[in-house]
Amino acid sequence: MSKKETKPSFEQSLGKLEKIVDALEQGDVPLEESLKLYEEGIQLSKECMETLGKAEVRIKQLTKDLNGKLHLTDFEE
Amino acid sequence: MSEERIFTVGELTRQIKGVLELGFPNQWVQGEISNCKHHTSGHLYFTLKDEQAQISAVMWRSRVAQLRFRPADGMKVIVRGNVTLYEPRGNYQIDCQSIQPLGKGDLQIAFEQLKERLQKEGLFDEARKRPLPAYPQRIGIVTSPTGAAVQDMISVLSRRFPSVELIIVPVKVQGAGAAEEIAGAIRLLNDEKMTDVMIVGRGGGSLEDLWAFNEEIVARAIVASKIPVVSAVGHEVDFSISDFAADLRAPTPSAAAELVVKDAREVVELIRNYCYTMTGAMNNAIDSYKQTIAHLTKSYSFNKPHDLLRQRSQHVDELHRRLEQGLQHRFAMIKQQTVSLNGRIRTLDPTLVLKRGYAIVRQGDRIVSSAAAAGPGPAVVQFHDGTVGAELTQRKRK
Repeated sequence: MSKKETKPSFEQSLGKLEKIVDALEQGDVPLEESLKLYEEGIQLSKECMETLGKAEVRIKQLTKDLNGKLHLTDFEE
Repeated sequence: MSEERIFTVGELTRQIKGVLELGFPNQWVQGEISNCKHHTSGHLYFTLKDEQAQISAVMWRSRVAQLRFRPADGMKVIVRGNVTLYEPRGNYQIDCQSIQPLGKGDLQIAFEQLKERLQKEGLFDEARKRPLPAYPQRIGIVTSPTGAAVQDMISVLSRRFPSVELIIVPVKVQGAGAAEEIAGAIRLLNDEKMTDVMIVGRGGGSLEDLWAFNEEIVARAIVASKIPVVSAVGHEVDFSISDFAADLRAPTPSAAAELVVKDAREVVELIRNYCYTMTGAMNNAIDSYKQTIAHLTKSYSFNKPHDLLRQRSQHVDELHRRLEQGLQHRFAMIKQQTVSLNGRIRTLDPTLVLKRGYAIVRQGDRIVSSAAAAGPGPAVVQFHDGTVGAELTQRKRK
């Protein structure tokens, strides 16, 4: 497994969580599998909550100088 | 007659030209455009007319380029220009310095014309419009870094969904070069693929102030953008070309910020509900399994082996009981036999006979059981209580 595996986006995590909730609600998953799904679902919900719990927006400013070079700097309000 | 001067056509025309051009400089004329021709040379030719008369008009290429709208037949305008005479044809015409639409401002006309043209091209088609991502991680903002609009957007986004990252591309939003900067910023965000969505806009102002967002170059940059674009220009009442070209029009910059992110508190509530639903579903599943198990354990087939075991065990008990019974019976029989044999054996006891008065006569080891067997000589007579010696003598036979 590569170490550079990117963390799934919030949207992906939430989408996966939705699917798990649907599957569990349908109730046609075998018990062992549904226990696994449940565990995964709870884990995903924790991750999503963590993301939502972040307190401050990060604000960057993207500019291009005369030589066409890009600069990504903190935005000064 | 001879004193009268005979002119050449050229001379007369030149004189008329002098009178006309000196006599009607810098005129303001109001009329309706007809026979409008945009020549490939870039010059514009048309006729200006009203109910009574008409006059040819021309506008040279360099001035046409400065027009924000495109003159067309039927348009009521005020032109300013000098009356000139075109000698080769002997036509007089008005050489226009400027043309202003009557009633509506030129910007308004320009707006409507560009809107119509781009609409015909299909740039505003609903089918072109893409949905915004539900949960963008990075949001691009193309606007002035100093206006109130950027502050409004930052504050709304911070309040609603603080986990996002904002990439602000600062641009001039009005004045010369603003449209080019805005279009360039849209392309830059696309080139760098840095954001999931972008807001392009500015706060309120006059039509003149908002003009950059009505420029074709901005509309085309928005249409070409691979990143969904939200246009947010001015106040709710202001519509701009960029609004039509964008995937979504927001009435104001603050509204744009509300549209690109959900309220994090609502999402938190949603996830809580998910957890609740999942736990409920799990508990239900477990309860239902428990019930199934309880049902099964009570069922006949599940209990059959147990039942068989009990039956067998009962059978064993039965056999055991029968075995015991059999043995007891047998013992009883043997006991009875013994008693009976005992009785019989006792009737055979010789001492009982002796007690009744009989005696056994022995001669030596022999029992004398008949007269014929008796010989003369000593004998022993046995009674039940002892023996007596005797002498056998005379034999008498029956």
